[in-house]
Amino acid sequence: MNQKVRINRLVTGIPGLDAILGGGLPEFSFNLIAGPPGSGKTTLAHQLMFALATPERRALFFTVLGEPPLKMLRYQQQFTFFDTGKINDTIRYVNLADAVHSGRFDEVLATILKEVEAFTPGLVFVDSFRSVLLEASPHVKGAISPQQFIQQLGIQLSSWQATTFLIGEEPSDSDTQPIYTVDDGVVVLNQSVYRNSMVRKIQVLKLRGQATSPGIHTFRITGAGIEIFPAAAVPGDTEAGTAAPAGPLRDRRLAMGVPGLDTMLGGGLPSGYSLLVAGPSGSGKTVLATAFLAEGVRRDEPGVIVAFEQTPSQSWIRTIDDLVRSGKVGLINTRLLDLSIDEIVQRLIDLIKRMKASRVVIDSLSGFELAVAPTFREDFRESLFRMVSVLSGLGVTVLMTSELEDRYTDLRFSPNGSAFLTDAIIVQRYVELESRLNRVMAVVKVRGSDHSKELRQYEITREGIIIGAPLSEYTGMLSGRPTLTQVASPERGLRP
Amino acid sequence: MSLPSGNNPRHAAIRRTLALRQGRDPGSGAIAEAAIGLTREVARCLAPLIGSRGVDALVSRSLQLTVPAFPWLGLTGEHGNVMGSLASFKARLEVRDPMVVTEASVALLVTFTDLLVTMIGASLTDRLLGPIWAAPAPSPEEETAS
Repeated sequence: MNQKVRINRLVTGIPGLDAILGGGLPEFSFNLIAGPPGSGKTTLAHQLMFALATPERRALFFTVLGEPPLKMLRYQQQFTFFDTGKINDTIRYVNLADAVHSGRFDEVLATILKEVEAFTPGLVFVDSFRSVLLEASPHVKGAISPQQFIQQLGIQLSSWQATTFLIGEEPSDSDTQPIYTVDDGVVVLNQSVYRNSMVRKIQVLKLRGQATSPGIHTFRITGAGIEIFPAAAVPGDTEAGTAAPAGPLRDRRLAMGVPGLDTMLGGGLPSGYSLLVAGPSGSGKTVLATAFLAEGVRRDEPGVIVAFEQTPSQSWIRTIDDLVRSGKVGLINTRLLDLSIDEIVQRLIDLIKRMKASRVVIDSLSGFELAVAPTFREDFRESLFRMVSVLSGLGVTVLMTSELEDRYTDLRFSPNGSAFLTDAIIVQRYVELESRLNRVMAVVKVRGSDHSKELRQYEITREGIIIGAPLSEYTGMLSGRPTLTQVASPERGLRP
Repeated sequence: MSLPSGNNPRHAAIRRTLALRQGRDPGSGAIAEAAIGLTREVARCLAPLIGSRGVDALVSRSLQLTVPAFPWLGLTGEHGNVMGSLASFKARLEVRDPMVVTEASVALLVTFTDLLVTMIGASLTDRLLGPIWAAPAPSPEEETAS
């Protein structure tokens, strides 16, 4: 008979936290929430407390020094999770300042234990433990040392079946050993300021017995409290169940909503593929993306668009608005300039699941890069790779647009070398023909599929994109200096 | 200073509790004793939460805000000694007319609780101090029903 102990996990419900903790907090664990001032430690502790405290699992919150308790209660009440109805019966605050001023760790410990015995909490918070360590003096005759204090606190509170959280600034070298030895979990919060943007970060450094999500994750504090955006994990590395769809799903093709384009793609865009539409400003990338979503709506395939473009043409905004109003297309429209890619991915995943979307448009990668906080721009390409992988893992088909400066000396598809991440590429260019600026497009690649290699002229009309005839009589189009290879037919024109 | 209002349930509860604690036909001394006792009980209730120094700071501020309406209280030179201030407050109450003593006592407690409300809000204040206040007397209809 298997009699191994099974550790109960406390599911916090805090967005993203349980995921990075590996499923929740181990019951009766002794944890450290560390970080510099203003990083959100006290807010996280309160959110945890209000989420987990019940009449059967009560919480004791010990305040020491630092933020005056009145101020703390004043500010924490601004969060929606703060439930006044839980105070006193389910959640009790105890100020330890008087005990700490005695300078004796044993007196502080005795006060904590007396309150724990009287209230029998299932959750204990000490904010801040650093204040205890700094204020109490180990040199008082007969007093216990900081190491003994931390160790005894850990032992006693575990025995009292309390899940404990010490909150404070990251331990200094002298504090580190006793705390890091005794605690079962360490969560570190941070905020990094780069140029004029501030990004909050969280990391689970340690959580005994659990497969936590490694690495640094970003989070945001809103009126609802903390929302964590777990770093997007590349499917296949971690969870076999979320690997990219194979076989039959890939055989399915999606109609693009632009007459003639499906033929150019070899029969439509393979389902689950990521397509990059690259072209200069005004070449019709957003128009093509809108057609892709509108076609999805016609075929009962809901979509989602993440719009970063500041000034897309008004008519296409109206079209997208109409699609959003139809309830078949979800819109994430952000003007924030301190986003993490993980935050966008999280919002995107939530919306995809809510809409049951199968088509996703990101318009555009250039706008996306601008919206991402400067601190993440160095890793933009890597983050993009993770995002595309996650979306591919969800089985959605992704169309991304990329602003491309028209250069006639090289053929590039994205400013950040991200073209290789995508399964298919359509490039749009301007060419001068007969003293007129013309638009041409070509399918550059469709992974694992035949496709047209032709450069096709196209026009943008009120009805959308009209693809014309191949410009087979010209050569050197992409150099910007096309030359006539044969006598052009006078009938040459747009062939729908 | 906050003026005690008959429409404010918390203010009414303070007046009611003070009346209950001072007994029937009390003299100024009994009213002062009840007022100081109630203030100490409020302080005892809050001390575990905000620390004794936090409570002392609130009591000091409340005394300072109450004095302008009752200049004869004339509390001076008691900075940092809340117990001394309260003792002085009590001594000055005891020699005044009972009605004035009641008004000054209610004013101090109302000022204290209103000060707390501005810091942590009415619902949390009521949650924390509610158990101290005496419940309203049952209405004649309720008495008949029971």
